Amino acid sequence: MVICTTPFEVTAKNIARVLGLPDYPFVKVQHPIGSCTLPELKTRAEVAYEQARAILLEP
Amino acid sequence: MAAVAPRIHDVPDDVLAAIDFCYEQGWTDGLPVVPPEVGRVKAMLAADARPAETVIAHHPATGLDLSLHAAAVNAVMAGCLPAHFPVLVAAYEAMNRPEFNFHGSTASTGGSAPLIVVSGPITDEIGMNADVNLFGPGNRANAAIGRAVRLILRNVFQMLPGISDKSTQGNPGKYSFCIAERSRGNPWPLLCEAQGYPQGTSSVTAFAGGGFCNVENHGGNTPEQILGSVADAMANYGCITLGQSVVILAPEHMRILADAGWTREQAQDCLFTLAKRSVEGMKSVGKFRDREYDRQHDDKAHGLVEAGFVHRGLGPSDILITMGGGDAGGHSCFIPSWSRGRSSLMQHAAITPSPTPSPQS
Amino acid sequence: MQLYSPMSTTPKRKAFRAPALASLDGARIGVLENGKLNAEEMLHEVTQLFVERHGCTVRLLKSKSNASAPAPSNTIVALAQDVDFLVTGLGD
Repeated sequence: MVICTTPFEVTAKNIARVLGLPDYPFVKVQHPIGSCTLPELKTRAEVAYEQARAILLEP
Repeated sequence: MAAVAPRIHDVPDDVLAAIDFCYEQGWTDGLPVVPPEVGRVKAMLAADARPAETVIAHHPATGLDLSLHAAAVNAVMAGCLPAHFPVLVAAYEAMNRPEFNFHGSTASTGGSAPLIVVSGPITDEIGMNADVNLFGPGNRANAAIGRAVRLILRNVFQMLPGISDKSTQGNPGKYSFCIAERSRGNPWPLLCEAQGYPQGTSSVTAFAGGGFCNVENHGGNTPEQILGSVADAMANYGCITLGQSVVILAPEHMRILADAGWTREQAQDCLFTLAKRSVEGMKSVGKFRDREYDRQHDDKAHGLVEAGFVHRGLGPSDILITMGGGDAGGHSCFIPSWSRGRSSLMQHAAITPSPTPSPQS
Repeated sequence: MQLYSPMSTTPKRKAFRAPALASLDGARIGVLENGKLNAEEMLHEVTQLFVERHGCTVRLLKSKSNASAPAPSNTIVALAQDVDFLVTGLGD
C-alpha cells in the first residue's frame, strides 16, 4: 500500500507504468508531510486509512 | 531478459521535419535536437569497441538499462561528435555506481544535475573548454557531452521533468553541466593524477551538483582571505549540510595560493575548518538535526571538526577543489552537492580512448 | 530518413497485483519507511487506525537507509513472508 502526497501523484503513476502496473491504485493525501504537526498527520492518516481500506479489499 | 531491438522511425527526408518529429515524440529538453539518423548513430558507436548492446548503466527504480546503442543515439541528438563519446560513456560508468545514486539526485525536489568534470589529456584532444566562460556556452564538446548526459536521463531512464524529476525550481545545469579541468597554469596535480590513474589516462568525475554559487573576491591577496570568502559561500544557510562540495578556483585566486606554496590538501583543510555554522545559528533557521550533528561529531569525527559547530561535509576530502576559468577575474565558484544526508557521493572513472581515430567533423 | 529511438531497449515489464484481502480483521501489517521527515510518524498514525479498528498487528518496521533507492531485495522478501500487507510512502 503506497501513500503519496498529491504533487507526487504523477510520479507514482509514471513509475507504476514503467514497472508494468499502469493501473496500480495508491493512496493520495494532502502535501506536505514533513512539516506537519501531529494533529495534521492524524487528519491525513484518516484520509489515507479510508482509501487504503478500499484498495486492500477491492478484488 | 534480452533487450529488444532498437526501434527505427521512418520520417520524411527533410531535416526540419525530422527536428519537428523529435519534438513531437517528446525526446528533447525543449531545445531542438540533431535527428538521430541511423548512419550518424553507427558512426558514434564506432567510438567504443564493445558490442552496441553492452549495458553501461542500470536504473534500479525502473529496471531500465542504458546500452551503448542508446547512449550513442542520445549523443547524436545532443550534438556530440564520435570523439566525445568515450567521455559520455565514462560519465555514465561513474554515475552508475550505487554510491552516486543518479536516480535520487535527478528525481529529487532538490534540483540537482550531474556536474561532469573532465581531467587529463583528452580535454585538449577533443577541444574542451577549461578557460574563459568555463560553465557557459560556446564550446561544442562541453555543451554536447553535458547535454547528452541529460537527454539519456530523460529518454532512456524516463526521468521526465514534472513527472519523475520533481525538482522544485530546477537548475540551469539540467540543460548541460560539463567542464574541463584547467591544466594550463595549474600548480596542483590534475584530478586524474590525484585520483590515481596512470599517466596519460584521462578521467571523468561525476558530482550531483545542486546549483552554482559565484564567489567574487578582487581585494583578497592571501590564501586565507580567498578561501575565507569561498568557505562563507559553502556555509550559507541555504547550502550547509553534511554533503560534499566542488570548488573551482579562478586562475587569479589560484595564483595567490600557489605563490604562498599552498597545496590542495592545505586548501581543503582550510575550507573545511572555516565552512561552518554554530549550532545556535542552525537552530535559529530550523536546520539543526541531532542525527546529523551526532554523525559529524561521533568517535570517527575528523580531527578538524569543532564542537558546537556544524561543518559542511564530514571532512576535507569531501571538497573537490581544482582550477578552471579565464585568466582575468577574481571569480571562483562553489557547487554544493544535492545530497544533504550523503546519499550521493561523487564518483570518478577512467576514460577509455576510441579504438580508431574519430573524425572531428 | 531513418531515426533511431533514443529510449531504452529494456523489454516492457508486466507485473501483477497481489490478490485482494478477504478481510482486514487481524491482518499483519509491515511498514517500510523511507527516512524522510515525519515518514515514520505518518505511517504509524495510519497503521494505528488499522490496529484500533480491525485488530491488526504491526509485525515489522523497516527503514530505508536511502530514501531514493529501492529497498534491498532481502528487506522486501523478509517483509513479504511475515505480513499480509505493507504500508509505505513515496516522495517527500
